[in-house]
Amino acid sequence: MTDRLVVLEITRMEAVHLAGLVTQFADLLTETTDATPDDPALARLVPDAYADDADAAREFRELTQRDLLDRRSTDAATVLASLHSVSGPTLVTGDEEALTKIAIIELDADTLGCWLRTLAALRLVLASRLGIVDEADHDDTDPRFGIYDWLGYRLDGLVRAAEGD
Amino acid sequence: MMVAATIPGTSERIELDTTSDISRVWQTVVWNDPVNLMSYVVHVFREYFGFPRDKAERLMLAVHQEGRAVVAQGAREQMELHARAMHDYGLWATVREAPQ
Repeated sequence: MTDRLVVLEITRMEAVHLAGLVTQFADLLTETTDATPDDPALARLVPDAYADDADAAREFRELTQRDLLDRRSTDAATVLASLHSVSGPTLVTGDEEALTKIAIIELDADTLGCWLRTLAALRLVLASRLGIVDEADHDDTDPRFGIYDWLGYRLDGLVRAAEGD
Repeated sequence: MMVAATIPGTSERIELDTTSDISRVWQTVVWNDPVNLMSYVVHVFREYFGFPRDKAERLMLAVHQEGRAVVAQGAREQMELHARAMHDYGLWATVREAPQ
């Protein structure tokens, strides 16, 4: 990682939608249990580290789960701060011109890391909600898959920028 | 058993046990999932492990095509650190003892 800035161009409409999703994601992370979370989407973010050893898996979970979820909350808060810097709290959803205007978000290396992890995690949560179990699972008529694809498009763009492609 | 009767004997036995435990080789395994992007997985392998691009791509393809890949081998604690880091990125990783 260098001190290079990655520039993200995003419409305000996207920024508003993304902020909504990340806020919902952050709400999901308030779970404080040390046991496997009941919500399968949350459980996917903190998977068992031992496939055949329940005791070792539990011990690992007790040592890591809270830290992992706390870190995700911090990541989400960083992403929200970037988004709020361009979407603004006063944006009215009826104002078409303002919504389609392109905003620039500059991401330093640390902030970019927060974005990458958050977008990847958001897709995992959405995939769990959508019941995606293999790569062929896609319903073009379900608008939620559109959101899932859009997050993938944004994540891929940021990965390419991070890799310097 | 004469070992338990004296302290030197006991400590020697503990030392032997510790040595044999350390010599066991553990692995961090990354599993395929239908969600994480190939480009993202390559990025994670490069950023976290510092792998050159071709190695990162080879491992990503192994995960994708064979369902899993061993990304690291060594002491158990180290493999757990790697698994934790992979979870932090959203990858599905487990720790196991290396098959004999």
